[in-house]
Amino acid sequence: MAYSVLIVDDSPVMRSFIRRVLALSGFEVGECMEAGNGIEALTQLSAHRVDVILTDINMPGMNGEELLRRLGADGVLKTTPAVVISTDATNERIVRMIELGAQGYMSKPFTPETLREELERVLGARDASGA
Amino acid sequence: MPPELKPTYSMDQDVAASETAQRVAAEVLETMFFTEAELDPCEHAWISPAPAARIHFEGSHFGEMLLCVSTEAVDPIAASFLGLDPTEVTDVQRGQMVQELSNILCGAMLSQLWPDSTLALSSPELTQWQDWPAEGTLHRCFRTPEGLLGISIRLVAPSLNQATAARTSEVG
Repeated sequence: MAYSVLIVDDSPVMRSFIRRVLALSGFEVGECMEAGNGIEALTQLSAHRVDVILTDINMPGMNGEELLRRLGADGVLKTTPAVVISTDATNERIVRMIELGAQGYMSKPFTPETLREELERVLGARDASGA
Repeated sequence: MPPELKPTYSMDQDVAASETAQRVAAEVLETMFFTEAELDPCEHAWISPAPAARIHFEGSHFGEMLLCVSTEAVDPIAASFLGLDPTEVTDVQRGQMVQELSNILCGAMLSQLWPDSTLALSSPELTQWQDWPAEGTLHRCFRTPEGLLGISIRLVAPSLNQATAARTSEVG
């Protein structure tokens, strides 16, 4: 089964890198969409079916924390898991993002294998819950 | 630096910080840029014309980091990061790659040095290399198969950091 993925990051080279790593990982990607911040992500989510969201935290306009807050309030995270990808691996940050509703957290650097394992874990949990 | 602005802790005296810098640089370059980085003697003739990025951090610690990538290493490393041929790398991608590399290195180093800290990183800005005073600065040069990288990181007094950080937002 191929999954649709939304990559949310204000850095174009980081979005390209994540696309590349997804391809290298062997994870089956169907449609792969991109957004430069939380506002663009909400627009994409209103127009497309997305299986999983990969989001940065620090972005202009609307950051990853606010995006998660909105998606949690709208109930989107019950059916569409979000994985945070960040340079910040401090304990406080990880706890805060999980409390906001992120189902996964990956700190940079990460390998294609760890990305695939994290995606399979969060999507497996979603599918097991019947969402 | 005026004595009243000196932080009480010097990164250049911290063995753990030095080991962390070496380990993180090697790990980041190998994992996300598909190349290798080994410690190299600091001979800075290469450094002044090379692209550099500067990033500030604040919170439980205040400081800044400078990264410089030698001109011959920029295109191969960017190409490797993006899955392109080195001849396809644009000026914009070159700059964005140096910024992204500085962001990843700084975030990973600080998170490993102080995992229980609360830190915010500024957006990396492209700049020119500066030789900071050796006292208080942890500086290392690394050799990759393509060229050289230089990294300097230091703590500064909060007032100095706030004055020099033009745009500080939360870490990405």
